[in-house]
Amino acid sequence: MNRRGLTLHRAALGLAGVTGLVYAAMLASLLRDGWPLLSWRFLLGLPRELEAGGGVAPEILNTFSMVMMAMAVIAPLGLAVAVQRVEYGRDVWWTRELDRWSRVFLSVPGIVVGLVAYRVLVAELGWPVSILTGTVALAVLNWPFVAVSAGDALAGVPESLREGSLALGTTRWQTWLFAVLPEALPSLVNGLGLAAARMIGESAALIFTAGVNVSPHWGLAAPGETLAVHLWYIRTEGLMPDATGQAAATGIVLLGLVIALLWASQRLALWLERRH
Amino acid sequence: MTAHSRRLRTDRRQQVLLGAAAGLYAAVGLGVLLMLLVSSGPLLLRVGVWQALLGVHWNPLAGQFGLVPFMSGTLLVTALAILLALPLAMALAVVGARVLRGTGPSLMTRGLTVLAAVPSVIYGWWGLTTVVPVVRRWSGGPGFSLASAGIVLALMILPTLAVLFQDALTRVPPTWQEGSLALGATDDQTLVRLIWPAARANLFRAMLVAVARALGETMAVQMVIGGQTIWQLNLLRPGATLTTQILTDLAVFPPGTAGYRALAVMALLLMAGMYMLVRISERWERTP
Amino acid sequence: MSQPPAIRVADLSVWYGAQRALTGITLDVPAGQVLALIGASGCGKSTVLRALNRMIDRVPNVRWQGSAMVGDTDVLGPAVDVVALRRRVGMVFQQPNPFPFSVFDNVAYGPRLHGIKHPARLRKTVEDSLKQAALWDEVRGKLRRPARALSGGQQQRLCIARALAVKPQVLLMDEPTAALDPLSTAKIEELVRELKGRYTMVVVTHNLQQAARISDWTAFLEAGRLIESGQTGTIFTTPRDARTENYITGRYE
Ligand SMILES: Nc1ncnc2c1ncn2[C@@H]1O[C@H](COP(=O)(O)OP(=O)(O)OP(=O)(O)O)[C@@H](O)[C@H]1O
Ligand SMILES: [Mg+2]
Repeated sequence: MNRRGLTLHRAALGLAGVTGLVYAAMLASLLRDGWPLLSWRFLLGLPRELEAGGGVAPEILNTFSMVMMAMAVIAPLGLAVAVQRVEYGRDVWWTRELDRWSRVFLSVPGIVVGLVAYRVLVAELGWPVSILTGTVALAVLNWPFVAVSAGDALAGVPESLREGSLALGTTRWQTWLFAVLPEALPSLVNGLGLAAARMIGESAALIFTAGVNVSPHWGLAAPGETLAVHLWYIRTEGLMPDATGQAAATGIVLLGLVIALLWASQRLALWLERRH
Repeated sequence: MTAHSRRLRTDRRQQVLLGAAAGLYAAVGLGVLLMLLVSSGPLLLRVGVWQALLGVHWNPLAGQFGLVPFMSGTLLVTALAILLALPLAMALAVVGARVLRGTGPSLMTRGLTVLAAVPSVIYGWWGLTTVVPVVRRWSGGPGFSLASAGIVLALMILPTLAVLFQDALTRVPPTWQEGSLALGATDDQTLVRLIWPAARANLFRAMLVAVARALGETMAVQMVIGGQTIWQLNLLRPGATLTTQILTDLAVFPPGTAGYRALAVMALLLMAGMYMLVRISERWERTP
Repeated sequence: MSQPPAIRVADLSVWYGAQRALTGITLDVPAGQVLALIGASGCGKSTVLRALNRMIDRVPNVRWQGSAMVGDTDVLGPAVDVVALRRRVGMVFQQPNPFPFSVFDNVAYGPRLHGIKHPARLRKTVEDSLKQAALWDEVRGKLRRPARALSGGQQQRLCIARALAVKPQVLLMDEPTAALDPLSTAKIEELVRELKGRYTMVVVTHNLQQAARISDWTAFLEAGRLIESGQTGTIFTTPRDARTENYITGRYE
């Protein structure tokens, strides 16, 4: 860079440094408050309402099971929508409208989905506030995200690849399976990793669908408080004396899960890309 | 020939399955919208749209459904968050795209990606333990305030905004930048006179994404905003937003009550906001 | 207008990291004349140009030795003000690179950088530059149109006008016609001949006929070394070095 005329760039560097410090302070205070409480007892124990020393084992289990179940539904369905739109899609008014609303629903607030799911599933259909209800809300909320990110991944595959394959006399489906999918797989994996991270952190859609309680017996109809909801609940309404620390420790577990998941999906994507 | 026709048949079957998936997808989306309309309709028809939207008093049990406190809270908090996040995100983007340029996806970019995925309750937790006390000490008020919500929200949208900004800046072709430097422009001048104008459509669309996130955020805001439903504009005092009010009142007003219908109107307003943002964003796609 | 300066490159070597791109280049261009740089791909022609306006500074880990005088200043010296230097030494690139602005704003970009705000003065500078670049007749009345809507040849002349608008003394052109059709190429060549005398120019080209048509002096590089340089007529008719002769007759060993 030139020596002259760098004032703005230097100021940017300074501001960026300060911003970095703010985030470092945030992580530091999370660790400071939560680290002392992290133990096997915390990870494997049951939560307690009124006294100190509770754990988050059911919340971890609920988070895992709900995210996995929702993922199992919307990964194939989201991919299907993406394939339909990108590979077979026609450009007519209703497909354009579908794409547009996909983008609108990309930023639908979780609480809005919670509001609707609460009425339809709980109030009208009489489902209990439970793991199953929460899973449905989670799936509805994140389906557009998977569909859009998968669509972007597929659209990133150059058209020449498709033409080359079709020219060999293969059908469109074969072309997609053997030429397009392998090429798009790394970005697909990345997108699914982000979707799962979003779901792990989701809370607004779950409070009225999966609830703020846990049951000692896991089941689809059992109440399904997740880690994120637990953090919110004890930090805003918790009565236990160590609520702040409990919340921070929950936050560390939550953050650890998100980072591990992102890291794993990025590694997988990288590995797929190299192998390809 | 038979093999080929069999393949074609599979192809058609896949197509039907894919079509069904897309149909279900559209149906779910339509269903959500319809439920919002059905839920809010009776109220809007009874008290009238304008009375619902323009009233300043919120007391559904007494038949007052004024949404102004929440709309104003949402707008204030979002505006504050964007104002705070914009310069910081631009600073991070300039560092990532120009100061550290050419070092591949840097540690900074990866850090920002992780921060963008940090669950909002963690930002809310930090807001409660740090931001609220700091605001309380500064202002002498309760600390739970529109300002606290704006600050927490700013930190939350900043990573996303910075990543998108950085992407927009790196998309400006290096040959244009060389052209500018070769005319005797300094790096600062190149940034201000060439790169920002050249990237402005993408920068603007990145900002719209951040606005959408800020509008829809619930948890982090609810934890620090104070939840006061009396309309007031002082940033240092408590308030409420559309999303936080749905969260706190959904427990009080179950489906079937007038209160629930009012909450559905709020949800509808949020969706209308998201729809408008998408329309604006589309317009900027075509004018680079 | 002030007299254009002479260029004297003495014993110039450049390294990109560990890779040596130029070895002991010595070259002279008399004031107001045109030097053509020829040689195979990767022999270091662009590196010579980019040393003269210090665009090589943009490459991380670049190092150099030797001197390059433009007039009285050694542009490779440690105390050189790079920004001021680039105003004196303009550059035109292989791919036309107009900014995504209007024709007017492209040409006005440089003058505005250097503090010219007065609309009438700006307009005059833009008009003069476009006339010098032989583009005025084609774009008059369309100055508000986006520059990227012009044809490739017009875009390249616009880039020349943009470079001229900051009133440089030296013009460096890196394969200015490589991306253009024959007609546009002819226009640019004509332009170079017209600008001769007012600017000292160094033009890189892969087109040997073009070098012969437009330049007063020619230098032939191979693998980062200067093989031969001299008056264009001499180089093309009676080259001293066998390698030069092979190159200009299209023979490779
Ligand atoms: N930024 C760079 N980093 C590392 N090496 C470089 C860089 N730019 C050029 N080189 C190397 O320096 C040598 C000279 O490059 P230069 O671009 O000057 O050649 P050239 O004669 O202009 O070639 P061409 O006719 O293809 O434009 C080449 O071997 C090239 O690989
Ligand atoms: Mg070159």
